[in-house]
Amino acid sequence: MSETNSSVAMKRSASAGSSAVSIDTIESLTELDELERVYQQLCEEEKLVDSELEGLVSQRGNIETKMLALQRMGPNLQLIEGDASQLSGMITFTCSLAENVSSKVRQLDLAKNRLYQAIQRADDILDLKFCTDGVQTALRNEDYEQAAAHVHRYLSLDQSVIELSRQGGESSAVDASLALLQEAEQKLKALVKERLDQAIADGDLAQVERFFKIFPLLGLHDQGLARFAQYLCTQLASKSEENLILAVGGELGERRAALIFADTLTLLLEGIARIVETHQPIVETYYGPGRLYTLIKHLQVECDRQAEKVVDKFIRQRDYQNKFQIVQSSMMRSVPTEKMEPRELDPVLLEVAVMNARAELYLRFLRRRITADFEVGDATAPKATAQEHQQSMEKLLKHCLLSRTMQELIGYYIPMEEYYMRESVNKAVAMDTFEKGQLTSSMVDDCFYIVKKCISRALSSSSIDCLCAMINHATSVLESDFREVLCNKLRQGFPATTLQDIQRGVSSAVSLMQSSLQQGKFNTMAMGIESAEDAKASFLVTLNNVEVCSENIITLKKNLENDCAKLFSQGFGSGEQAQAKIDSCLADLVSTSSKFKDLLQEGLTELNNTAIKPQVKPWISNFLSISHNIEEDEFNEYEANDPWVQQFIVNLEQLMAEFKAGLSPVIYDTLTSLMTSLISLEMEKAVLKCTFSRLGGLQFDKELRSLVAYLTTVTTWTIRDKFARLTQMATILNLERVTEILDYWGPNSGPLTWRLTPAEVRQVLALRIDFRSEDIKRLRRTSKRDLLA
Amino acid sequence: MSMEDYDHLFKIVLIGNAGVGKTCLVRRFTQGLFPPGQGATIGVDFMIKTVEINGEKVKLQIWDTAGQERFRSITQSYYRSANALILTYDITCEDSFRCLPEWLREIEQYANSKVVTVLVGNKIDLTEKREVLRERAEEFAEAQSMLYLETSAKESDNVEKLFLDLACKLIREAKQNSLVNSVSSPMPGEGKTISYLNCCS
Ligand SMILES: Nc1nc2c(ncn2[C@@H]2O[C@H](COP(=O)(O)OP(=O)(O)OP(=O)(O)O)[C@@H](O)[C@H]2O)c(=O)[nH]1
Ligand SMILES: [Mg+2]
Repeated sequence: MSETNSSVAMKRSASAGSSAVSIDTIESLTELDELERVYQQLCEEEKLVDSELEGLVSQRGNIETKMLALQRMGPNLQLIEGDASQLSGMITFTCSLAENVSSKVRQLDLAKNRLYQAIQRADDILDLKFCTDGVQTALRNEDYEQAAAHVHRYLSLDQSVIELSRQGGESSAVDASLALLQEAEQKLKALVKERLDQAIADGDLAQVERFFKIFPLLGLHDQGLARFAQYLCTQLASKSEENLILAVGGELGERRAALIFADTLTLLLEGIARIVETHQPIVETYYGPGRLYTLIKHLQVECDRQAEKVVDKFIRQRDYQNKFQIVQSSMMRSVPTEKMEPRELDPVLLEVAVMNARAELYLRFLRRRITADFEVGDATAPKATAQEHQQSMEKLLKHCLLSRTMQELIGYYIPMEEYYMRESVNKAVAMDTFEKGQLTSSMVDDCFYIVKKCISRALSSSSIDCLCAMINHATSVLESDFREVLCNKLRQGFPATTLQDIQRGVSSAVSLMQSSLQQGKFNTMAMGIESAEDAKASFLVTLNNVEVCSENIITLKKNLENDCAKLFSQGFGSGEQAQAKIDSCLADLVSTSSKFKDLLQEGLTELNNTAIKPQVKPWISNFLSISHNIEEDEFNEYEANDPWVQQFIVNLEQLMAEFKAGLSPVIYDTLTSLMTSLISLEMEKAVLKCTFSRLGGLQFDKELRSLVAYLTTVTTWTIRDKFARLTQMATILNLERVTEILDYWGPNSGPLTWRLTPAEVRQVLALRIDFRSEDIKRLRRTSKRDLLA
Repeated sequence: MSMEDYDHLFKIVLIGNAGVGKTCLVRRFTQGLFPPGQGATIGVDFMIKTVEINGEKVKLQIWDTAGQERFRSITQSYYRSANALILTYDITCEDSFRCLPEWLREIEQYANSKVVTVLVGNKIDLTEKREVLRERAEEFAEAQSMLYLETSAKESDNVEKLFLDLACKLIREAKQNSLVNSVSSPMPGEGKTISYLNCCS
């Protein structure tokens, strides 16, 4: 009921609040109009309120029914309340019960743990007793493995537990056991060491391995490994010394003898690799991971000692040091006292390369094995430990005597290989021969054969630094020495004489002498035809040589890249460092290729200037002696007997035939390109010195077409572009009237791009004797769009 | 690897006795660290650092050579193409200073004549252990017309300056050279003088 009331009240207050008129307002009203308006408004509001009230009253029945139903529910609610309080009591009870139980469980757990500890301790004590008894029995039975197992069990017991036990009730008994055990441990250790030493002395592998396995059980890992390694080293030493004696005194076949020290070193290194391979499983199984490094460290000492012996013998027997000194002094002085045939160095260089390659292979093998062994243990170890392991391994491998010895050998190898390369290249140059019909002479092939051979040998040593050093030297030999040789040959120039010159007699001889004087070559005259021919051939061959050099260098670099990729794929010179070093050295090598290209370009320009230009220029001057101010008769006469262009083409053909035969197609093509540029330039000059009639213009157009057609057949370069200006000149010279030019100029030019400036166009127009200069001048003024201004 | 576009590329080779701190100088400059307990260099090490100088990208190829005698022949093969040499000694080691003339002879013999050489006295952080007076080294450097600088790879003193000043100098020389070349190089076209005819052997 109250609920309904309040809701009604709320509604009412809401409607009162929304009434537009407050009491205050009404009281302040004074005008009738206003009063009436407010009254009206209030009446309307009243009507609204009435209807609202009616609505509410009509709900009364409904609400009363609901009230009745509620009243009927009263007793039920009381029942529920009783149940609820009962439930709450039950929950509280259960809760305290649970808490009670859980604390008991905790106590139980604690008790259980203590019980376990007690059992463990009892077990340990029992074990201790068992071990004590067991050790004695095992020792009596000489069952050292069993005895060691007992000691190992004792050593792995929790020392604090043992300590606690001694404070307990059974202290005396435990003490006694302990004393016995410790005594047994010491005894066993001494015994095992003694037996292992004995086995080593006897060379009894089975016994060695037997006692070796016992050491880690007694916590003597390092001692075990050291003794075992000592055994292996003794074996190694005797075998290696035997091999060396055989090597020095043996009667071996010629082929083996040449590499006998490399072979002996190989036997040594392979022997060690085999030892590692064979014994790694035992070490892993009985000593755990991470111990292989220790074993190898011991083995490496013997390896170093034996390798040093082999290398010492090599140096003495092969006179290595002495050879180096001779090479050194002959490279220092320009006139060496004692010269060494490069060929004599071949065997030692090869042998050193092989030795180093074997040493690298061996060290790579060790690195792989040690790394793998460390990785197993270091997987869970802190990063610093892993790093430390890595560092100590690198130190061992990089700075061991074997490495240092090899570095020393390579240190001598490089200057000797350099000497070999330089001397051999010098020889190839000195013995240079040229066979007729070949484009290049023998020294290019020979030189690159030598360079390739030297770098390949350095590569075969597997030493990245050695390889890089030899690439550097090769770059120097090619760029300085060899390029200088070719440069000097080109510097001698292309003799300006030709057979025709001499046949042509005195007048040519004068011009010949002049051209010789100009070039400061007085000898050219005295030079017989034959030697002049030789000099020419030599110049052309040198150009070919230069071009082949620049190509060979690129090929050499590509091949080396492939070879290096192969080396890297085998795991040598791992790391970006090595790759970057080689890349940089190869980049230097390949950059010399462009220096040869530059030289070729210079040589061709020289050839064009000395051999082509002096010939072509007078032929073009002949054009001037042919009148182009002609009438119908002469035009027809020219038609029947060509006055100039055919002869010019024949001359060119003859001139170039020599070069076509003597130069490689690529160079010849470049030369013809130079020649066509020269011709177009000279022709232009000649044309501007001529005068033309209408038919003369036509004649010139015909001549130019013939010339361009011919030149197009001799070169792969586009000629049209080079002759664009001349072609446009011909077009101008062919006009009917001056004003006709306007059909081709400016907006009328169509696809034609003018290469001539307006001034040049006027200049060419003026060459036509039948064009009046006023008309040409007027072009400038009358042309509407400043066409030729 | 650093980007390939650069305005200048220079090769710098560090030489000098073993243990004077060449590797430490290079590591300090290229990686900004002082490597603890790294061993003697084997052969040559190669590092690249690109720096920007006056808006120009300069790629420095730095070859760190081994000072130990047995690597000498490897090291020598790098002299010829070097743009600059950093000849290093240890100010706390008289011996490393006394070997300098020997190094200069090597340079004379193998390096190209246009090479820029800087003399560097390293380890100046070890003041109390100094054996070579600064004045003495300066005098020596001047007599040999070398630049001189004292550094500490450990304390990073003058290391940056060493390489950047050197790069500046190399840029200057490169620009001068190209100027000289463009003046003397013949114009294309007629009457071209053949440059190999003039080049001296
Ligand atoms: N106090 C101090 N020690 C330095 C400095 N530079 C290098 N060292 C130490 O000198 C020793 C040799 O340094 P490296 O950089 O390996 O010498 P290096 O010249 O490269 O020697 P090689 O490679 O054998 O030619 C190391 O122990 C360095 O810690 C320095 O500026 N101050
Ligand atoms: Mg170093």
